[in-house]
Amino acid sequence: MAAQTTFFGVIVKRGFQGIVAAVVLWLAARFLFHFPPVFQIMFVLYAFLGTSVFILLDAPSLSPVSGFKAVVLLIGFYVVISLVYIAGASALPQYDPMVEKGKIEKIVKPKLAATEKGKIDELLKRTEELNTQSQAILKRLETLGGEEAKKIEASVGGGPAAGAAPTAAGGNLVALGKEQYDLQECYNCHKIGGKGSVKKRGPMLDNIGTLMKPEEIKEKLLHPRAWMAEGFEKEYNKKLMPDKYKELMSDQEIDELVAYLSTLKDTSVPTPKPVKKQ
Amino acid sequence: MKNWQRSLLIVAGLLFVGTAIAYAQLPEPRAHEFPYMGNRGAVWIVAQLHILFAAFILGAPIFIVVSEILGWKNQDVRYERLAKEVTKVTVILYSMTALTGGLFIFVLLATYPQLTAWLINHFFAVFAVMYPLLFIFETIVLYLYWYTWDALQGHKKLRHIALGVLLNIIGLATLIVIDGPTAFMNTPAKFAEGGMDLKTFIETTATLWDKMNNYSWWPLNIHRTVGNVVFGGFITGLIGAYMYLAAKNDEDRAFYDWFGFVGNLIGVGALLALPFAGYLLAYELCDYDASICPYMMADQLSMFFEMQGAMVGLIFLASNYYIWLSMKRIEGLEQIRMRTTTLVLMASIPVVFMLIWTKFPIPDKFALIIPTCWVTLFLIAGRFLKWTVGAQTLVKVAFLMVIIGNAIWMTPHAFVATQALAPDDGSLSLPHGELSLGFVTISWGDLALMPAKNAAAFTLVFVTVVNYILYNRALRQGRIAWGKIDFVAQFVLVFLAFSAIWTMTLMGAVRELTRKYFHVFNLQYDFTPESFTPTLAYSSWVFTGVTLTFYIVVSFAIILTLRTGKEKAHAEASKAVPAVAGAE
Repeated sequence: MAAQTTFFGVIVKRGFQGIVAAVVLWLAARFLFHFPPVFQIMFVLYAFLGTSVFILLDAPSLSPVSGFKAVVLLIGFYVVISLVYIAGASALPQYDPMVEKGKIEKIVKPKLAATEKGKIDELLKRTEELNTQSQAILKRLETLGGEEAKKIEASVGGGPAAGAAPTAAGGNLVALGKEQYDLQECYNCHKIGGKGSVKKRGPMLDNIGTLMKPEEIKEKLLHPRAWMAEGFEKEYNKKLMPDKYKELMSDQEIDELVAYLSTLKDTSVPTPKPVKKQ
Repeated sequence: MKNWQRSLLIVAGLLFVGTAIAYAQLPEPRAHEFPYMGNRGAVWIVAQLHILFAAFILGAPIFIVVSEILGWKNQDVRYERLAKEVTKVTVILYSMTALTGGLFIFVLLATYPQLTAWLINHFFAVFAVMYPLLFIFETIVLYLYWYTWDALQGHKKLRHIALGVLLNIIGLATLIVIDGPTAFMNTPAKFAEGGMDLKTFIETTATLWDKMNNYSWWPLNIHRTVGNVVFGGFITGLIGAYMYLAAKNDEDRAFYDWFGFVGNLIGVGALLALPFAGYLLAYELCDYDASICPYMMADQLSMFFEMQGAMVGLIFLASNYYIWLSMKRIEGLEQIRMRTTTLVLMASIPVVFMLIWTKFPIPDKFALIIPTCWVTLFLIAGRFLKWTVGAQTLVKVAFLMVIIGNAIWMTPHAFVATQALAPDDGSLSLPHGELSLGFVTISWGDLALMPAKNAAAFTLVFVTVVNYILYNRALRQGRIAWGKIDFVAQFVLVFLAFSAIWTMTLMGAVRELTRKYFHVFNLQYDFTPESFTPTLAYSSWVFTGVTLTFYIVVSFAIILTLRTGKEKAHAEASKAVPAVAGAE
């Protein structure tokens, strides 16, 4: 009983100190340093974490438990930790897989189509589509011309032979290039229009179209070490731009990206000057 | 579990591997759809379970042998008993490792047959010859080590220790061999820069050695070896906690209190090196392809790292709390004091080291020289300035520093799942302001960068080292009462083991996910609909499920081997006593 009272005293004392620390941190974060609300909450949570730790440090010893009670305590403990970890992970911002799924499909689909399996799958899919179309046409002909349609069907050997011509790529080259910029996640290292990498891994690209000709941009994409931006010439920085796009992107995709980057001519943004290295 | 049952499990595991290799040779193997959890989920769960068992059976023998040597050298029976009891659990879990390993390759082949066949054919010598042979050797040596324990005592003890060392060498070789294909999937070996493209190189001229000796192979070997020791240490702590809870007399309680303490010491000791081994692995991954770095730290996996920060912080808090509980029962603790300079140095590390590493990023030479000078300065000052602080004050400041260090570790650029989605109004991002301390200015943005994270990691490590130094000093000057530790300490040990396993599953998933929509990065596309990054919330259910499954199996292994063994010994002893008494 005495121990319980002491523990209660510890909770009250440390709890009060914790609340004071939380209020001070919150005031400083909000009014002095102007942190957004989510960071203010983070500071307050740390104050509470500290409070819990200091309560535990001063807590009186726990009486030993054994047998069935110990087993129940253990199981309860596992349940609590499991739920706390799941809740903690779920409380953090979640990346929407649908966003990525769309992107991955755009990247992976052409690669799959290029494989033997992809080609067979594509042919099967087109055959199925054509079959459905021919069935629909025959049905219409039957309603319009009756027996005459059946004769036509017999004369052509069961349906249309030629496939539909492939649809031309929609949209213009620049729009497709912008899409490539997003798909390849260039924004993780570069900034355009103030959006993108916060770590300045790579140079801002707002004026790259003025500083480089399209063929030079293409050379940089295919051979990253061929050109280095001023201020990014340290040995470590030289390896930052991956040397893989010539293998992972098709010629068409590279041309689209080059077309988009060539349009970036905002002279008000200080894009570092590229220097020919190789 | 009887020997023939264990052997059956190991044989079943090897049969699975053999069947899988044979199946991989079939032309055009077909994929099967796994019900409920999907193909990726099935592979994920089985692989992770296998890795957890493997981590224990590879990590535990390292300190089992060290413990045996200590027991032999110091004639301390506690070390000998610890080594023997952990080996007993290891033998049981060894068969589970074989079974889950076989199951893993079988599930992999059933769900991703083309990839598995491709991998087996590229690493045929590894999968068909080296790995099974090493596994068989390891089985033989482990069983020899276990069954000769009582026979090789006295002057033959050195032979037994030699067997233990051999077991570790084979274990390490197994780990290194199987890490080759694993690391290859993350960083497939490239031809010299600007030469042959990756696909042509791997498919035509690359030798087995070229494929094994890839960028992340050695960092992964180092990281896994250190991680396995941490893991083995914390599981030993768990065994100690279970046995303490079940102990019926003071002698057992004293032994298992010490047992748990040693387990925690091993776990924490190796844990100190783990952030740096992890950093080395991440560094090599980023060096291989810089696009991996933002994917991990700023893009889809950024919140996984936020969770990792939380877990590491909790593990360091818990391990230091265990030291505190351990220290509290030392008589004469109140007389222990340390130099005030240690306290000031500890408090200065997060800010000072962050500023140094921001100005001179690692691997700049000044990134090592200036921090070394800073620490040396305080060590020298401590020789002259005689001010001291009490142990309890120092420990409390140390806890404060762990919380501050963890707060820095967990400060992101923005609370968003990816930087690309950070709103323009800055409502979720670190502000652009800065804090002027007069002689120096800290920009808020720097708190989210690697120098700050490194300083935070160093703070956690430094604080733990200081706590252990303090603890050792208390042990030398005071008197410890083994078996009298606060009961809550057993739950701290359980918590540490659970959190270490959970973190292992989290970081294992991160390493696998860095391959993005590739099975083999930049080389083999994953054309299945499951090639996207799962959400952290969904993943946390998988981590918890795997951790609990592993925990249930390990708990049963501990109860079966140690409790039942002890009861048997007691029963035999009680039967023997009346007979002897009657004879007299």
